[in-house]
Amino acid sequence: MNRKKIEQLKKNYLETPIPGELDFVVKKTLKESGLNMSKHHNRFMGLKVAAASLVASLALLVIGVNTSLVFAQTMRKVPLVSSIVEVLTFREYTIDEGTFNANLKVPAISGLENKDLENSLNEEYLKENEKLYAQFQAEMEDMKEKGGGHLGVDSGFIVKADNDRILSIGRYVVNTVGSSSTTFKYDTIDKKKEVLLTLPSLFKGDSYVDIISENIKSQMLEQNQADENKIYWVQGIGEEGFVELFEKISSEQNFYINPDNKLVISFDKYEVAPGYMGVVDFVIPTEVIADVLVGNEYIK
Amino acid sequence: MSMLRKQVAEYVIKEKEKHYRLAFSYVKNVDDALDIVQESIYKAFSSIDSLKEPSHIKTWFYRIIVNTALDFLRKRKRLIIVDEVILTAYDSGTVDNYQDFDLQNALEDLPEKYRSVIILRYFEDFKIEEVAEILDRNVNTVKTQLYKALEMLRININDVD
Repeated sequence: MNRKKIEQLKKNYLETPIPGELDFVVKKTLKESGLNMSKHHNRFMGLKVAAASLVASLALLVIGVNTSLVFAQTMRKVPLVSSIVEVLTFREYTIDEGTFNANLKVPAISGLENKDLENSLNEEYLKENEKLYAQFQAEMEDMKEKGGGHLGVDSGFIVKADNDRILSIGRYVVNTVGSSSTTFKYDTIDKKKEVLLTLPSLFKGDSYVDIISENIKSQMLEQNQADENKIYWVQGIGEEGFVELFEKISSEQNFYINPDNKLVISFDKYEVAPGYMGVVDFVIPTEVIADVLVGNEYIK
Repeated sequence: MSMLRKQVAEYVIKEKEKHYRLAFSYVKNVDDALDIVQESIYKAFSSIDSLKEPSHIKTWFYRIIVNTALDFLRKRKRLIIVDEVILTAYDSGTVDNYQDFDLQNALEDLPEKYRSVIILRYFEDFKIEEVAEILDRNVNTVKTQLYKALEMLRININDVD
């Protein structure tokens, strides 16, 4: 009888649900510790962080329950008429089948004269969400065959700035079950000139990479000094030796412009800090970059 | 890459689920447990010199996880949130057995030092000596704590030892 009790407790313990992201986290951590274990995984590891997290966020979370869920094959495709801002409307895809939930919101830009820009952005948004949807479907079918489980994905967008001149849109993907692996991608459009702003297009030459990187590094250290729980992988915080430290931003680093007309540099979860720090953003003081800005049309 | 580093890397891939479960048993939520697994791997590679014998990888790494988890709990002093996923996991999917649920609760309610010895000794099947090594306690202390833990769970020692 007592032996049974321990066995039962052990069984419960061994049934702790394992999040699909675990494998990704372990391998990524090994890679950051300078170890590339398996040649077979190189292809996967070589992908951009965002893409890899996306796959991981859709991975299985199999748990040991067996409920009699009826999985109706219903997918709603709801075109919504109302627009959020003048240049933004969206479509929504939802799946709501008990433990399987997907809520994909597709932003669509309308009202631009430059149809090439408008169409290429919209196509990209749609393609990304169709891919998410297809992956979700595949995972869901797989789990149903195995008797059920939990799976959730949300995608959507946030308007970071919308004024006379600028529209900054952040698109995100969040896994709602398992670990919250949020990834962001930003697009900033000049509404007057009707062009998509890239980071290099804002600056004279490429010295901005170093100037911004140095500023971010000092912000990281300042934050850490103010609160020791704020850890970044940067020289000076004692994380040296086993992680790849943040050196500099990519010339095409994720960015947006906030409503105060400040440049904000954004990093995905795990990009420059441990997972618990989540997505991290740094507002770059304008005086730091004033000398290398092309003009002060967007950033003030 | 040194042989030892490679061995450790292979080990953390192979046993990742065990490591995750142990981390989860302390922090009780998915995100934090993943972070502890991650943190433990970093620590392992930065302190690889402390691993004297390759045959001790397992106890050495478990010790890192336990310490990382305890550090984390101390630092955060967070409320433990039992989310829906965990509750569902306790559901065996067959017939509900409330006695088992109480037993599970009793385990969750045990002070950390007692719960750790139960988990390591009975769920992870470490020898008493190994449990002592992982928790950095002496063997007699572990034995005493184990008996005390079983007593608190109202499990007769003679039947399981």
